[in-house]
Amino acid sequence: MTPSTDRKRFTVPIGPQHPALKEPGHFAFDVDGEIVQSASVRLGYAHRGIEKATESRTWVQNLYLLERICGICSHIHATAYCLGVEKLAEVEVPPRAQAIRSLVAELERIHSHLLWLGVAAHEAGFDTLFMYSWRDRETVMDILEALTGNRVHYSANVLGGVKYDVDDKQAATIREGLDFLEERTLHYLEVVTTDGLFLQRTRGIGVMNRDEAEQSGVIGPTGRASGVHRDVRIDSPYTAYAEHPILPVYESTGDLLARFIVRLREQLASFEYIRMLLDHLPNSPLTTRMPRRVKEGEAISRVEAPRGELFYFIKSNGGDMPERIHVRTPTLCNIASVAQLVIGQHLADVPMILVGIDPCFSCNDRTSVISQDGQRDLWTWDRLRQYGINHYGTHYSKDIHR
Amino acid sequence: MTTDRNLLHAQSILRDLATDWSQPAPERYDAHVLPQKLVATVTKLNQARWGYLAAITGLDKGPEVGEFEVLYHFCAGAAVLTLRVTLNRAYPVIPSVCAVFPYASPYERETGEMLGIRFDGTPDDSWLFLPDDWEPEVFPLRKDTVLNGGDA
Repeated sequence: MTPSTDRKRFTVPIGPQHPALKEPGHFAFDVDGEIVQSASVRLGYAHRGIEKATESRTWVQNLYLLERICGICSHIHATAYCLGVEKLAEVEVPPRAQAIRSLVAELERIHSHLLWLGVAAHEAGFDTLFMYSWRDRETVMDILEALTGNRVHYSANVLGGVKYDVDDKQAATIREGLDFLEERTLHYLEVVTTDGLFLQRTRGIGVMNRDEAEQSGVIGPTGRASGVHRDVRIDSPYTAYAEHPILPVYESTGDLLARFIVRLREQLASFEYIRMLLDHLPNSPLTTRMPRRVKEGEAISRVEAPRGELFYFIKSNGGDMPERIHVRTPTLCNIASVAQLVIGQHLADVPMILVGIDPCFSCNDRTSVISQDGQRDLWTWDRLRQYGINHYGTHYSKDIHR
Repeated sequence: MTTDRNLLHAQSILRDLATDWSQPAPERYDAHVLPQKLVATVTKLNQARWGYLAAITGLDKGPEVGEFEVLYHFCAGAAVLTLRVTLNRAYPVIPSVCAVFPYASPYERETGEMLGIRFDGTPDDSWLFLPDDWEPEVFPLRKDTVLNGGDA
């Protein structure tokens, strides 16, 4: 057999299953040898048609739907939605509720960044760091559970306020957890900046300078690692961030290492911020009255999710259901940068570069087709609801009635 | 203060390009722009380095009204400038802004496939989110599209 001298490019498909992380997305990389020449992206494997679904649900039902867009940053979706609807309804939320919204948002950020640290370490082949960071993530999830009863979908928001208060005992638990997590985060910061093998996977890899970052529209920690000064908490403060500003974190080197440092330093800023909030929790009711129908108009609400700016556009016709809700998640802004960043890089660095933006496909993809016996079968809301009632009624009747 | 300054600056940049203005909220300006002026408008905003394109929203006003509206949201600090472009529902074509903002590609792909709006000149018009076996002429976010079961 004669060796091929054909220099034609070869396309390496990655995904849709497990494209370096446990969420679905499809990438096609054209390679010349080991070097990536071009890339294309295809998403939608977790698309559920949530924007369409919001148009046939009431304002209250939509809160529960929208906070299920993401299983990591559920609270920030609900916050963005509540802020927009409250703006339209001209309702002022009590200050204590706003402070608790910020408190849960920062706890969520810590949880999300620790999750990311683990995934990113795993991609680098550093599974010890992965296991330790996920062990520590349990601490913040326990705090969230103690506050709200849930580890993931905390469901802290209601339209017009929050459901949960923070008492002294809970505040003490939070402080204790934060002290432990701060010590651990400082240790991780030292590890990622000094471990020789790890630095080989991060320093000078996937570099984006500030101009490039601004031109490619990246936001959130990915942009801030390249010195892009964009953080909605600073630029357009909401909930408690206007009264109590949070310390912004920027780096300038714009490589993978900077993305690690920014996220770890953001955790440190969140610890400080939560302690400060606990010291200054205003006294006020937790909720205010919300009308069932929301005044006609359009609202835009912007919040800083763990992955960057989350943008909601909400339009009401004055009824009890929205006319249109459009959600632009941070990953949609950042995903295009991956296709740019990988060009000229080794194929082996692709997973790390992808993980570097902390993509969230579930956030991005919002149509659920449930296949049964190979048939395409779409479930209506009523059918799904009835299924849930029957299922839990049969299996957990004792728990429900307890 | 910075927000007011940013909004005044946006107004001065778009003075000859916008056909109508409104201020729906203290931090927002809405500017109505004709489709043929869209690229010139975003080019001017880009040259003036006025914020960044944060999102593109497609609105279907329904078959009775016979219009789509495409909203281009630009953010600079707390200020939000929205360019509103109205399209005839029977001929929903709008020029792509990707030559000015390459990162608009996923926004245009999403709005295009969900509402059936053609972004003329967009570098990649393949589906970003819709499944491979989706009916080509079914646009999920159109008001007259009722998905199987009526509530999918």
